[in-house]
Amino acid sequence: MKGKVRLSFKLNGAKRNDEMEPNQTLCDYLHDVAGTTGVKKGCDTGECGACTVLLDGMPVTSCLVLVPQIDGREVVTVEGLGKMSDPNPVQRAFVEHDAVQCGYCIPGMIVTLSWIHEHFPGASDPEIRRLMSGNLCRCTGYQQQIEALRTALGSASHSG
Amino acid sequence: MKSFQYLAPIPRFEYLAPRTLSEAFKILGVHGKEAAIIAGGTDLTIALKERTAAPKVVIDLRHLRSELGGITISKGVLRIGALATFSEIEASPLAGKYANSLREASANVGTLQIRTIATLGGNLATASPAADSAPPLIALGANVTILGRSGNRTLPVQSIFTGPKRNALQVGEIISSVEIPAIEEVRSAWTRAAVRNENVLSAVSVAVATTVHDGKFGASRIALGAVAPTPMLAETASRAMTGSEATAEQAEKVAALAAEDARPISDIRASARYRKHLVQVLTRRLIIQVLSEDGLS
Repeated sequence: MKGKVRLSFKLNGAKRNDEMEPNQTLCDYLHDVAGTTGVKKGCDTGECGACTVLLDGMPVTSCLVLVPQIDGREVVTVEGLGKMSDPNPVQRAFVEHDAVQCGYCIPGMIVTLSWIHEHFPGASDPEIRRLMSGNLCRCTGYQQQIEALRTALGSASHSG
Repeated sequence: MKSFQYLAPIPRFEYLAPRTLSEAFKILGVHGKEAAIIAGGTDLTIALKERTAAPKVVIDLRHLRSELGGITISKGVLRIGALATFSEIEASPLAGKYANSLREASANVGTLQIRTIATLGGNLATASPAADSAPPLIALGANVTILGRSGNRTLPVQSIFTGPKRNALQVGEIISSVEIPAIEEVRSAWTRAAVRNENVLSAVSVAVATTVHDGKFGASRIALGAVAPTPMLAETASRAMTGSEATAEQAEKVAALAAEDARPISDIRASARYRKHLVQVLTRRLIIQVLSEDGLS
């Protein structure tokens, strides 16, 4: 008996009911089925953070979550944080700071930094670097993104 | 190195999420060896992709948080539920007060995105020699409570590790919690060495738990990770530290004994010789760190 599972959950604020095979990751489901293509697959082993989403408000690497684990829970992707016409403060600051080069890591990075923006607004630079160490970027060297977060927070760099 | 099957789909399995412990044991009774238990899933999901695990049934414990989660204190024992995540332990004032070493290790497991879902019980069940939660728990003298259909049993944390990625759980058993003696005077600390500061597996990790009275160490335990097939108690070093003079010179001697206790191999993360050196350096640092808490209190 290897049946499908019926799941009900919230994706970016909208209720969804889907019947699906359990043997897929949340990352693949969000990107390939749900159409939230901001969720990127990088390493598929939970190291690079490109697939980061919020699960019940906490950042997770969606490539390590099996899709049935989200039943009854709430998922937010980069699409749920803001719109082109109404970006959130971190998204807006990324544009102002040219904090994007190739862009592949950026949706996951924005999810993590938006979470830091909301929950650790007083974080020092070393604390920000520690919290964002699960989002690898091979282009920028991270400095522009930290400056963007500082602008979004309205605070200056400090070492704690 | 084994190549990672990036595009291989996860084989099919049946997914079950029991609502009660008795339902969980019933399912485990039926499916036994063919079942894998998922807590946070950060280890199992990778194992499914790499085909190192191929269960016919995956049993998700997420509805059992009231039985298997939480961080509470009662009758001098700090109980951490198996489903407690590393983020929860990192943020727990109780863990900070009675198990500071575990709190420090929890704050450094994996990445933020791992810590929010990875659980203490899962870390122990995976039984990696480098499991960061193990040395603090071993040094603190913690026990693991295991539930089975026919009853409960309790093991010292080091006994749940039986070899690399091998645990002492019988088919149908699950870890329910970890119990740590809650003693206010106990000072504990954890540190590690690795190729970078974050998002990394430990090349060596060390935890110390001790008390200091009238210039002497009380009962003391030093535990080591990633220097043997399982996390281990450094027995000679722990014995030598217990009851000895609480001085920097003694820290030096104990650290040298800890390096002798270690039984490391050479692998991708460090050579055996370098690991022994790291055990000595980190142990000395930790002992001096817990001694210096006098200046703070």
